[in-house]
Amino acid sequence: MDILLLILIIPFVFGVVMFLMPLHFKLLQSLHILLSVIVSSVLLSAVSKIVNGAELSLFHNFIFLDSLGAIFLSLIAITGLLVNIYATTYMKWELEDGHITIKEVKNYFALSFIFTWTMSLSVLCNNIAFMWAAIEATTLASVFLVAVKNDKKSTESGYKYIVLCSIGLAFALYATILLYSAANGKIEGEAMLYTNLLANAASLDPMALKLVFIFALIGFGTKAGLAPTHTWLPDVHAEGPAPTSALLSGVLLKCAMLGLIRYYAIVANGVGFDFVQSVMIISGTLTLFISSFFLIRQHNVKRMFAYHSIAHMGVIAFGLGVGGAIGLFAALFHCAAHSFTKALAFCSTGNIAKIYGTKDMTKMGGMIRIAPLTAVLFGISICSLVGVPGFAIFVSEFLIFKAAAIDGAYLLMGIFAVALAIIFIADFSHFFLATFGKVEGTVVHNDEMKFTENFPLIALAILIVAFGVWQFDSFTFLLDESVKTIMKK
Amino acid sequence: MANIIDIFTVLMMGTSFAVFSLRQYRHSIIAYALQTLLLVAIFLALYFKYGSHELLVWSITAFIIKVVFVPLYLLRLVNKLGVVVEDEPVGGFFISPVVALSFSLAVAMMFYKVFIHFSIFKDVLPLFAASFIFMMGIFGFILRTSFLKQILSYCLFENGIHLSLALMAYTSHELVEVGILTDAIFAVIIMSILAKRFYASYGSLDTSKAVNLRG
Repeated sequence: MDILLLILIIPFVFGVVMFLMPLHFKLLQSLHILLSVIVSSVLLSAVSKIVNGAELSLFHNFIFLDSLGAIFLSLIAITGLLVNIYATTYMKWELEDGHITIKEVKNYFALSFIFTWTMSLSVLCNNIAFMWAAIEATTLASVFLVAVKNDKKSTESGYKYIVLCSIGLAFALYATILLYSAANGKIEGEAMLYTNLLANAASLDPMALKLVFIFALIGFGTKAGLAPTHTWLPDVHAEGPAPTSALLSGVLLKCAMLGLIRYYAIVANGVGFDFVQSVMIISGTLTLFISSFFLIRQHNVKRMFAYHSIAHMGVIAFGLGVGGAIGLFAALFHCAAHSFTKALAFCSTGNIAKIYGTKDMTKMGGMIRIAPLTAVLFGISICSLVGVPGFAIFVSEFLIFKAAAIDGAYLLMGIFAVALAIIFIADFSHFFLATFGKVEGTVVHNDEMKFTENFPLIALAILIVAFGVWQFDSFTFLLDESVKTIMKK
Repeated sequence: MANIIDIFTVLMMGTSFAVFSLRQYRHSIIAYALQTLLLVAIFLALYFKYGSHELLVWSITAFIIKVVFVPLYLLRLVNKLGVVVEDEPVGGFFISPVVALSFSLAVAMMFYKVFIHFSIFKDVLPLFAASFIFMMGIFGFILRTSFLKQILSYCLFENGIHLSLALMAYTSHELVEVGILTDAIFAVIIMSILAKRFYASYGSLDTSKAVNLRG
């Protein structure tokens, strides 16, 4: 069977299978891990075919996988798998503490497969209207991963999530329709296909393309967490369970960013790179400064990481704004680096909440003595988030500086440096508050987690360091090919 | 034929204002059903004019989903919750429709000039109406605090987009419309489930009461 067809079928079927399972936690846990491994293996097998130079498409090119999609599909596979494994541990704790029922756990596991299915679909769609529908479906599939419980806060976060993302994505749908209308009859072949639109971008109406890009930026930017329409993100990420926040921040935001990058490519090749770069610089700078300002004030560890997600979406936007081959390479690399880092960060908040019974960092302290491994893992995520050399995010941030320096854009380098410095100071002050010194509040679980429980976090930490110090040829190949596609070189 | 389409689109603009402004939920939902019926009529009028098979499929699916299913589902929700009149919106019942109307007209005036460049259908009024309805939906989200009104606002801007699609790109594949409509159904169902939960938690549909997560 075609590998793309398998991707379209398997996660959905597994979701349905999970829904039909009996309410037995051990069974649900084992099955969730097993099925997640199968899904990720299928996704990675498709990615490996792209790395080996294959061209994958289905239903007359309606569904396809290019090098750009392969990058994001590998994030769904790797980050998704590790977070899904951690989710079984997290849900066990929640169940033991009586915060959640076994039925809610089963629904959570089932919905996470449906969520993976919608995200994979959004990456694989060559038809831009279907890509939009798939991205909207990711919101719908993940609402009840966020609003797991029936209480006020959970309902409020679910409400904010669906309402704000739906408004935002309405603009993206308008962008889709405008782009199709502008291309229909003017280009050869189906005007709904991204590949056709990119190939014929130069023959499209420049005025229409500019409006399309602004609409796409509002639409996909809302979903990706770009300012000023980022306001849903802190509430949703702070309120949802830790694995949900890890999936949303580590994978979902990147899928929305992929939608925006595809529009970036079409519009850049239609009206020139200057326009899209200017827009992205404005959006990136605004996002970076708004998020870093709010970051300083946060004491809730999950809200802090939520603002980090916004800041790093700003970094990706800034990379797209600086542009050029290196800037684009950096932006795409940052998607992967941030995915692993943020998954680790949010999963470690699950451990931290288990230890202290709170998310308030002013009531923590002394974590290094209580749970040294969790403290180290938390530290690795913080080091990567602020761009310490040797960790994955340093590579992309350094490359953005390099791209700006090559262009002689010293003002941009200065703006970027100031924003990163604010984030650096805010992060380390929070990190020290939680990790060292005396315990300020109460300790609910005065012990380190088991190795098997920490395994997904350790794997993520290894990935963060590995991507910080090593160059993976297959991944670099995907990045290079994607940059060439966007720049049409 | 163009005149009939013009008349329908003006009526659609009127119904979008009614969906936004009417205080009673039932009236608002009926106004929405009426608006979608007009949208279906426009699809049919365009089908008879251009003979595009896609438009016929669109009109059938839109009728089943948006004229019948969505309004009935929302009416059932209203009955279940036992709500009749919406809570006082931002700026009161009088100010918000005036603000929404004036800003939607202003934005629509900007947009249609761009749309007409590349639209298949070159008539000004329907293109103007499409962006007006879309903006009324967006303002519905911003200015009305009732959860149910926000669901209706979602449906409103979805109608605006649907009208744009019919006018500017009616030759697009039927599957595209089916995909978008399927999403819309799920969005309405999920929002309704959340609205029920919201009502159970807060004792009203007034979303301005949802302030637990600020800070």
